Amino acid sequence: MARLPHAAGARLAFLWEGRVVEARAGDTVAAALYAAGHRMLTRSRKFHRPRGLSGVFVADHLARVDGRPNVRLDDELVREGHDVRAQNVWPDLDRDLLRLARLIPRRWLRAGFEHTRLIPSGTPLFERWEAMLRFLAGVAERPPADQRIPAMAGRRIAADVVVVGGGPSGRRAAAEAAGQGASVVLVSRGTPPGAFARAGGAALPDLPESVTVLAEHEAFGLYRDGRLVGAAPRDGGAATAIDAGCVVLAVGRRSCPPLVPGADLPGVLDLHTALALAHDHGVAPGGAVAVIGTGDVEAVARRFAALSVGVGAVLETGRTTRILGNHAVAGIEADGRVLACDAVVHAGPWRTDPALGFQAATGGALRLIAQAGRGNVTVVGSAAEAPEPVVWGGHLDDAALVCPCMDVTVAEVRALAAAGEAHVEVIKRLTGCGMGACQGFPCWDQLGAALAALTGRAVDDRPTFRPPRGALTLAQAAGLAEVVGPEP
Amino acid sequence: MPRKVAVAIVGGGYHGLSLAFNLADRGVRDILVLDAGYFQGGASGRNGALVRGGFSSVEWTRFFGHSLNLWIGLSRKLGHNVMFTRRGYAIVAETDRSAAMVERALKVHAAEGLRSVGLDRAGVRRVLPAIDADRVKAAIHFANGGTAPHHAAMKAYLAACRERGVTVRYGTQVTAIERTGGRASAVWAAGQRIDADAVAVAAGAHNPDVARLAGVELDGAGMRIEAIAVAPMRRTIDPGIALIDRATYLHQTGRGEIVGGCEIAGEKPRMSLASDMPVMAHTARHLATMFPSLGAARVLRQWAGQVHVSSDFGPLLGQHPDLRDLWLSAGWLYGVAGAPASGDLLAKAIVTGVIDDRMAPFAVDRRRRNRPIVEESTVNLEH
Repeated sequence: MARLPHAAGARLAFLWEGRVVEARAGDTVAAALYAAGHRMLTRSRKFHRPRGLSGVFVADHLARVDGRPNVRLDDELVREGHDVRAQNVWPDLDRDLLRLARLIPRRWLRAGFEHTRLIPSGTPLFERWEAMLRFLAGVAERPPADQRIPAMAGRRIAADVVVVGGGPSGRRAAAEAAGQGASVVLVSRGTPPGAFARAGGAALPDLPESVTVLAEHEAFGLYRDGRLVGAAPRDGGAATAIDAGCVVLAVGRRSCPPLVPGADLPGVLDLHTALALAHDHGVAPGGAVAVIGTGDVEAVARRFAALSVGVGAVLETGRTTRILGNHAVAGIEADGRVLACDAVVHAGPWRTDPALGFQAATGGALRLIAQAGRGNVTVVGSAAEAPEPVVWGGHLDDAALVCPCMDVTVAEVRALAAAGEAHVEVIKRLTGCGMGACQGFPCWDQLGAALAALTGRAVDDRPTFRPPRGALTLAQAAGLAEVVGPEP
Repeated sequence: MPRKVAVAIVGGGYHGLSLAFNLADRGVRDILVLDAGYFQGGASGRNGALVRGGFSSVEWTRFFGHSLNLWIGLSRKLGHNVMFTRRGYAIVAETDRSAAMVERALKVHAAEGLRSVGLDRAGVRRVLPAIDADRVKAAIHFANGGTAPHHAAMKAYLAACRERGVTVRYGTQVTAIERTGGRASAVWAAGQRIDADAVAVAAGAHNPDVARLAGVELDGAGMRIEAIAVAPMRRTIDPGIALIDRATYLHQTGRGEIVGGCEIAGEKPRMSLASDMPVMAHTARHLATMFPSLGAARVLRQWAGQVHVSSDFGPLLGQHPDLRDLWLSAGWLYGVAGAPASGDLLAKAIVTGVIDDRMAPFAVDRRRRNRPIVEESTVNLEH
């Protein structure tokens, strides 16, 4: 796929599945592969459907980089000579024979290929069967035995105010607190903070120099009612424990794909990811992009046009009934019509990832429950707005995926609901929904919406969110052992 | 809700269900299991899934040896797949002190007829290829030990109970236990009284509180323990492992995640399901130190569970010395490993009145009688 006119950066080359791919300095591996036309990056856990960068589901862009398994390709910058290989395929991505798993009747395969009555434990065959399950479910080859990654010494800092999120709301909150003389730490995934707003063409308020910025860091957990914040850099460097006087969550919202068949196809991107590709990396999300969304979808389409991206269709997400294609997006079906396109960008429904706020404000001995007024956390900006409902056009289709990483379909949820299982925690355990690399967002939102539609009852419960959701490595976490003692 | 039952069991986790199943299997009818939380919401859904192959003391070795044998036949017994996998279990010693314990334990196992072997350096490389063998001073391998995922095993227990007519109610808290004439005679739940010939308490971390409902005290206290799960990869670690000097345990699940936890010095016992940073950090440090090739593996999640810990870390099994017809399966730290035996032997005691020799040493009042059991191979810092 051609680069957009504003693409910059020196050319370099790396290996994808043993073939040479050209990239630009500053590309993430995911962006470079997308630019080179490699949409499919891996295959799904059980049924080996094609998966590619989506921006929503992390497991779709995990790969092996220079022997390290499970590397996030949207975080990893391309380096000359990088050896990048697809995971969960055999013998390789294109010929993947493991997709024969699709032929196995789905009622035999719950969660990690489990719950079969065919081969009970205690029989001679079981240990062999279980070894095969481990191969099938394990996804990634283990790291080479001679790889040695030592603990990365952690550090501990303190601040009156910790702001999570580098967009306009986070910057305003940080500036305001700093203006009142507070010490402020701002944690942001962006490089520099506010990447999404910038890619969207918005102006960003300045950050006072007194604010300590942890850029390219993920806030992975709010502990002890929000008085202890964990942050880790995406590059594997030292993790930081921050003693916080209070926490301001300005984490924005994320777009949920429509709950329709094909929404997991390579080429279906959320707005954050599509804008990052187009603006930051000069990579067109497609030649003819369908933009779907809630609210002012036309404004989103205009932004893409301004970035020289060809937009073929603009419509409301809730009208989408299906996204078509075999290995990548070929069209979108809405209102009974099929529109040809080679990528779908969704800009809504918008929902806030509730994980950090949940962690900071939970207590309980029988189950974790969010308790209002607990924790010293304020939510600001769009993150504080009510979540928009998960949507689908027409009827709820059995083939739609509630959790693409674990291959949980609407059909599976329907079967469990029909069998009387109505508790989301139980369904989570039976299906593995939300147990993949994303750890529950937005799949538990989708599970809740599907369950409510299938049972006709409101679903208020959700499984409990658990840090650190893959935001740090064992080596990074190990470094925190020296700097954080038990809670007094 | 029934008005009168033969046995009312407080707690629908591994031990409550195992007891209910075994009572039903012995022909007891009218069994009621009540649980305040949701299915697998307590320690039975938050554990390390480990079925340990053996311990160092005679008492633990006999009891858990029996339980291990029951685990091996459990799928057939329940009629559902518990997915117990005999991938083995290893106890790893890194110091002279723990290596000496390993040597003593091997002698106990030989005397008791338990299948265990000491691993030499070649054995360590064969059984634990990913471990830093230079750090291992001694190790025991139990070929019959392994792991059982709770989502399969608990589901099997629950299904088997219900098929045998046991009433199991989750989200139903027991609010009172009545005593009449020196015996436990009824429980209250959902605003009504349920008469019972016997009451059994298997409420995990909440055991001391539930015992207090009946006006009796229990040794030990409820406390939080924590664990982490590492992003999935293919077969890297076969057996369940206790890193005895690090108070750390781990295994690799059937889904490829490496799950482990540890105890840390200075942590105050507390009842909470909220996880914290230090245990995650220390578990990560122990894993990255002992399995150095895993340093770049990502921590997917961390969580907390709660257990009831007795003063000698052993289970409390049997009738309460101060209240007739109040039975306990409490104080479980190795509850997954012990569940089949506790249900089997406690059901035998309730139905026949015979206290099995393998259960007798774990009597509820052993602390009061100053008869603690010294078991050196548990994963606790206090040793």
